[in-house]
Amino acid sequence: MSILLNRDTRVLVQGITGRIGRAQTKWMLEYGTRIVAGVTPGKAGETVEGVPVFDSVLDAVRQTGAEASVFFVPARSVKETVFETLEAGIRLIVVVTEHIPVHDTMAMRAEARRLGATLLGPTTPGILTVGEAKMGIIPGNLFPKVGGPVGVISRSGTLAYEVGGILAKAGLPPSTVVGMGADPVVLTDLSELLRLFAADPQTKLVTIVGEVGGVQEERAAEFIAAGYPKPVVAYIAGRHTPEGKRMGHAGAIVQRGMGSVSSKVAALEKAGVSIAHTPAEIGLLAQKLLG
Amino acid sequence: MRLHEFEAARLFQAAGIPVPPFSVVRTVDALPEVVGQVGLPAVIKAQVLVGSRGKHGGVAFAETPEELDAKVRGLLGGSVRGLPVESVVIAKRVPIARELYVGATIDPAVGAITMLLGTAGGVEVEATAKDRPEALFRHSVVPPGEFWGHQARALARQAGLRGELMVRVAEVLTALYRVFCRSDAMIAEINPLVVTPDDAVWAVDAVLDVDDSALYRHPELPADPIARLEHPLERAARKFGVSYVDLDGDIAIISSGAGLGMATMDVVGERLRPANFLETGGGITEELMAKVTDLVLQKPGVRGLLINLYGGINPIHEGAKGIVRVLRERRVGIPVVAKALGNRQEETWATLAEAGVTMVTDITTEAAVDALCAALEAKGTENVKRKT
Repeated sequence: MSILLNRDTRVLVQGITGRIGRAQTKWMLEYGTRIVAGVTPGKAGETVEGVPVFDSVLDAVRQTGAEASVFFVPARSVKETVFETLEAGIRLIVVVTEHIPVHDTMAMRAEARRLGATLLGPTTPGILTVGEAKMGIIPGNLFPKVGGPVGVISRSGTLAYEVGGILAKAGLPPSTVVGMGADPVVLTDLSELLRLFAADPQTKLVTIVGEVGGVQEERAAEFIAAGYPKPVVAYIAGRHTPEGKRMGHAGAIVQRGMGSVSSKVAALEKAGVSIAHTPAEIGLLAQKLLG
Repeated sequence: MRLHEFEAARLFQAAGIPVPPFSVVRTVDALPEVVGQVGLPAVIKAQVLVGSRGKHGGVAFAETPEELDAKVRGLLGGSVRGLPVESVVIAKRVPIARELYVGATIDPAVGAITMLLGTAGGVEVEATAKDRPEALFRHSVVPPGEFWGHQARALARQAGLRGELMVRVAEVLTALYRVFCRSDAMIAEINPLVVTPDDAVWAVDAVLDVDDSALYRHPELPADPIARLEHPLERAARKFGVSYVDLDGDIAIISSGAGLGMATMDVVGERLRPANFLETGGGITEELMAKVTDLVLQKPGVRGLLINLYGGINPIHEGAKGIVRVLRERRVGIPVVAKALGNRQEETWATLAEAGVTMVTDITTEAAVDALCAALEAKGTENVKRKT
């Protein structure tokens, strides 16, 4: 079991004929992902790594039964492409693209919620179900062949890789690793991802890899405090962040009294979450809690 | 990108928000003409991109032309909160009966635009939210929803406003909402919105922070986001597309991701003091790594360098060549420790090790910091905090 994605999920790649789209399609196929179609308007009839390319999402869905989509689409086209994809009936979309205007993200988020769709990102490394499939850019070779008991939700990409590796080394590999995105507004809330992991029988413990900025971790703490069935470990990066400075990610900023590590840690601790002070401590805490 | 007050004020004015007559001045030569346009008494405001200018000597008042001249001379060429004052706004002073706060912001928790109306203007809104929450009124709009006139009037009525004043404040609210959406803003603020004894309203300050990711579709906005960054190394980094934040320590850091960079700062900060945050993003090449290595070493007093990379989307074996080139050219005498994992890690390790970089192959950043501490101690570069 896993959340959102497994080896049977029929995946569509949007922007498949671009440089990054091609390279990542190859990696995703090698990992075992069932990629059934690609879309680039104007390139219908081509193939990429043996995957047929269509002009529209609707064509791809009708002819291949694609049910989930990963985006390697330029920031300027993401909003309209999301609306096209939702209109074609797809209900899981991974938006890897960075630098999407926040006002666009708010519109996409509202539409996704109206339709009950799960959209990850923007600025997400994607989702990887260990040993089964991946949508996005998470390197597969950092994980063992078979999934384990730990669900990982991360705002950051490279830090998710480090945490995944630390958990694998601790003998407790991830089940699914989900990048929730690093923008000021995200398409799916952390608490919603926690809810999905709660329902997954393979996942025995959930790790939150947060960072400064926004209030996602605080909101998740409220959700956990209301009664969460599995132990949760959290690490929040950015203790040394100066106020008002954006730390690489658009959403990683302590501003107007909001978004500090101490606020997030206090809220999570109060909700009963075990706090790791460094990434390596996540492995130790997970061992203790599942030991 | 934060706009200067005068830039935001022009946009507010164009949207129909009443702004007292003002003029932007870079030299005192223009003052006689300005007095004619703006009138006295006047307020003089330094155009620097920080808040709380009033508290830090960035705002002055003048009753006479002589006083205006002296005070403008006092501000121009000086600095406010460490930022040089290159221009000032001279604006007509309006009589104050009371001060309100009007703002628009993004609620990151739900992806909505929050319209704010405060009855305690002139104070920082965070302070009001904390100390006098009863003085702050909100209305939330989830796009593609609208903010209608009747909703703005309801908000103004909630805040206790009545009659013509209620209508005028509601008009300012809807106009600010239009500016906020039209310019892809993250924050828009009028603090204070002055109410005169005859119930006229005037926006006597203007704050507009625009989403950097949306600048491409705003040719009407200033096109110099990089020039507005305060620190010279931050500006240099942005020019080649990476993100740098200056910190007050002496251990330089290069990482290949924002979260990883912050985590590296955390782990370094347990025992040493980070000199900077730098993340390369996903565009590593030999050239880029040469540039960023050179950049972090420019900071005076740096006594160690920690490099933390993952080869997922990034070709780290190419990047390693750039690092090595700079280390050799600059004959860097400080300890350099690198952790680089992922695709083509063995090639990366070989390239870096050959140039004298201490390689760490463990997955934890702690292991890299341990190695750096050991190298600093071996070099006798004084007090490394013992591991606890």
